[in-house]
Amino acid sequence: MARHDPLLPNAAIIARREYRDRIRGPLFLASTVVLMALALIVAMAPIAIRYFDRQTVTRLAIVSSDPELAERAVGVADSLLNVPPDGADLETWKKPFVITISDPDSAGRDLARGQIYGILGVERLPSRQLDVVFRTSGPPDGVRSQLVGFAAIAMGVLDWTAGLPPDSQLGAFQTPAFRVEPINTATDNGRALDPQETASRAFLGIVFVVLLFMTVVIYGMWVAAGVAAEKSSRVMELMISAASPRQMLTGKVVGIGAAGLTQYLAIVLPALVVLAFQSRIAEAILGPDWAAGAPIVGLTPVLLLGYGIFFLLGFTLFALIYAAMGSFVSRPDDLQTLSLPLSLLAVLGYLSAIGALSGGGGTWTRIASFLPPFSPFVMLARMMVAAVQPWEVALSIGLLVAAIAAAAVVASRMYAAGVLLYGTRPGLRAFLAAARRAG
Amino acid sequence: MTLEIDHVTKRFGATVALDGLTFDVPAGEVFGFLGANGAGKTTTMRICLGIVAPDSGVIRWKGQAVGDLPRRTWGYLPEERGLYPRMTVLDQLVYYASLYGRPVERARREALTWLSRFRIPDYADRRAEELSKGNQQKVQFIAAILHDPEVLLMDEPFTGLDPINLVLLREAFMELRDRGRTLIFSTHQLEAAEAMCESVAIVDRGRLVAGGRLRDLKRASGRQWIRLALDGAVPAPGWLGELPGVDQVRRSGAGTELELAADAQPPAILSAILARGATVSEFAVVEPSLEALFIELVGRPAEDEIGVLASAIATAGPSPTSAAADGPA
Repeated sequence: MARHDPLLPNAAIIARREYRDRIRGPLFLASTVVLMALALIVAMAPIAIRYFDRQTVTRLAIVSSDPELAERAVGVADSLLNVPPDGADLETWKKPFVITISDPDSAGRDLARGQIYGILGVERLPSRQLDVVFRTSGPPDGVRSQLVGFAAIAMGVLDWTAGLPPDSQLGAFQTPAFRVEPINTATDNGRALDPQETASRAFLGIVFVVLLFMTVVIYGMWVAAGVAAEKSSRVMELMISAASPRQMLTGKVVGIGAAGLTQYLAIVLPALVVLAFQSRIAEAILGPDWAAGAPIVGLTPVLLLGYGIFFLLGFTLFALIYAAMGSFVSRPDDLQTLSLPLSLLAVLGYLSAIGALSGGGGTWTRIASFLPPFSPFVMLARMMVAAVQPWEVALSIGLLVAAIAAAAVVASRMYAAGVLLYGTRPGLRAFLAAARRAG
Repeated sequence: MTLEIDHVTKRFGATVALDGLTFDVPAGEVFGFLGANGAGKTTTMRICLGIVAPDSGVIRWKGQAVGDLPRRTWGYLPEERGLYPRMTVLDQLVYYASLYGRPVERARREALTWLSRFRIPDYADRRAEELSKGNQQKVQFIAAILHDPEVLLMDEPFTGLDPINLVLLREAFMELRDRGRTLIFSTHQLEAAEAMCESVAIVDRGRLVAGGRLRDLKRASGRQWIRLALDGAVPAPGWLGELPGVDQVRRSGAGTELELAADAQPPAILSAILARGATVSEFAVVEPSLEALFIELVGRPAEDEIGVLASAIATAGPSPTSAAADGPA
């Protein structure tokens, strides 16, 4: 009884109908415009971040009953906190921290009004030990607070060296130069990104992962809803006699995937234009020092390509499973219930990716970046902020393709069983029973 | 040159949908596939189309297993009415014809011709959701025949049609038959089936209870019927059923039908009626109607709701289809 229908031309005919049906919808146009605007904002984000960084000045007040100690504290804090970036013109460069001596009452009022970020209180205890207190409206474990902590230690060392006898062999205290050299950070043309660039990438990574999550889940649900609608409207009754389940499944996934890709290109192309003129825009807004001294790292062609590949593969994998699920419901209302486990898998991938972008995750992040269906999210996140070898990306893509092939076999058989299933309540049990029969 | 349904069995869980069903459909005829709900008609059609695989048995068309035949061999009008709601009628018709391999331009031309024949040419550019149920039914019929299939399978094709559209559909049936196409349809409207079909198969609970030429089936029933009309006696008087030799009295249109006992003599019945003082305007010995035959064979009217099979399918689910066995997407 087996009828071996070739995939073409019917899969292409179905894909064309699905594609036209999607892109002609008003919702498609509206969401494309919104996402296009979002992409432009994202493309400009690194420049905006630098612009605001340049504009931001952190004010600190030093309070001490010992004027000499206060002067010394200002000098130490200034040398630690105001380090000009490489290549900056010292004549035009503005210090990010403004540190002044103040009296306790004025400083307290300024802190309460938000005019200063914190008060650094430096006093000498009867034991000659320095007592340094940092009162701040910011987070206690923030980067600035940690820097002030370093400054407190440096003050202690300086105070100690100042108390040494004049014939001491020890030289004057030199504030150590401190920098971090992470070995697991993303690179740009072979150069490791600095922390600020990595933070910029992490921000973009979050936007990318959110976009990927939204598109995979939304377009996947389009597929499931399309199948469910064909069943509920009984169009399926006509379709199943005209085309094989394999043709229908392929056509639907390809057609809706193509609509998603169209939207993706409509979103990405304006962003690419911004990317192409990024240096000029940065120079115009930030001036030559900031633009040249600290290269802007945002959307790069490699990252956009990575997003495109992981979108296509991730969508295909999820869409196949969503289509199989859609075939099991008689009413579109039931779809949310049945698709919840799959959506939760996507959420887990999304959260793992966010964890990777914030530097967390460790072993799980590494495993998840190879493990479908999480890999599209997590490998993309790793590519944004961590050092990823080409073979790792290739392996992740290879495993994803293998998973898609396996999912296609199972999904097409479940789809064939599900499209004729009317009147039964959708549930995991029915789904797994069909999967067993399909296997 | 027939469609052979050869000992086909199909189970859904514990329910037997088809139980060794066997009958032949002559090519180039209009064939009635009759049975109460749940008798297995839709399952048989789905097996013909390759949508559902039988557990055993085979269906052949012109000697070839149906699974080996191209899809365009078949046209299918399902019982449920379903069109893409937002798609225009013409686009929809061209779409389905394209799936069966019909060139787009030809499909468009022929679709417009059929729409004109069904008196809805102005609906070509309207969305399906804007059409009445009856017009949707006509569009769906056109979708089933636009690729000019050799065999047309129709599940309850007359549902939702008014008398005028019913006539249009019957004319289309006859035209397709005259062009050598084979038309198989299931219906609960036995009068319509009687008017159009040369042969029928009557199934009950997945088994054939009678099949063949309608004329032969009527003769083989061995029962005599009298069509009777009495002046000024509507409804028929109750005493008709008490006459010796009369087994059953049924209303039929404006008249009455009497089913006679095997040894009853029509002249004796006529004499008995006249003896009661009735004025007879029509008295004819006729063959049993298809409806009478159906009730005699199945034991209940065609539209009786059984629902056993429907609930069984819902519980067990259909098995993977043969079409699904053609590998990964």
